[in-house]
Amino acid sequence: MSGTSCKDSIALLLEYLDGNLSDEVRARLATHLGDCTPCEEFLRSYRATPGLCKKALVARVPKSVADKLTSFLKEELKKPV
Amino acid sequence: MHLDPRQSAADGAAALTPTEDSGLLARAAEGDTVAFEALVERYTGRVYGLALRMLNSEADAAEVLQETFISAWRNLKSFRGDAQFGSWLSRIAANFSLMRLRHRKVTQAVESSLDEPHFNERGSLIDEVATFGDAEEAALNQELRAAIEQAAARLSDDYREVFVLRDLEGMSYEEISGLVGITVPAVKSRLHRARLTLRAAIDTFYAERQ
Repeated sequence: MSGTSCKDSIALLLEYLDGNLSDEVRARLATHLGDCTPCEEFLRSYRATPGLCKKALVARVPKSVADKLTSFLKEELKKPV
Repeated sequence: MHLDPRQSAADGAAALTPTEDSGLLARAAEGDTVAFEALVERYTGRVYGLALRMLNSEADAAEVLQETFISAWRNLKSFRGDAQFGSWLSRIAANFSLMRLRHRKVTQAVESSLDEPHFNERGSLIDEVATFGDAEEAALNQELRAAIEQAAARLSDDYREVFVLRDLEGMSYEEISGLVGITVPAVKSRLHRARLTLRAAIDTFYAERQ
């Protein structure tokens, strides 16, 4: 495992994707990822997670909420600031 | 099944440029309620989405929506034009959401060791993870959306707020650190754990369908 365990590798993924690892640690991790298919797959899925979540978690504003906001603001905006 | 494009449109304020907002902002700052209402219409989806994902409650998100816009209206004169209006609103909404979370004093820590990757004694992954394939490029179906929504809702508040602010809102670690009141390393640690949990939920979703 090239001196880096899978557990160590996964702990480093956030900093790895942010580009914040030292050259030495980054090289060691890259070597491990090259040798370890499960970790390579893990990295791929970890990297994809924020984008998938962002797509999945887009919220639609219910009409009742939008209507309530409009009514609320119509009253509130009349008041002096 | 593709995501409903109307839902993406609800988040479309992110595509607006500061230039498009500046005219409305100038008028609103002078007390033009029509201009302010136009800004409200542009950003309602973004503010509501942030509050909903942080608070995990439609009722609370609706309250934060109102609080955010009325606060913005009352403080428009203090808005500095060098920031994007949408980002300013997001910070206001995040603050109101965080205050609500603090008041709730939710104590349950829902994080489960089941959500973590499993290792053997030598620190190697026990099982090969299910492949996401080209999931990031593929259409996101309703079942996957539901699985992700459930997983995000099950995150503890501490992890969910950081995940929402970073991965959904795109705030910097430093901004989040200031808003939440924790160090940047703590922000990163919580974000990493949130991502691991959500990744595991997506992985399980695909594994169960193989």
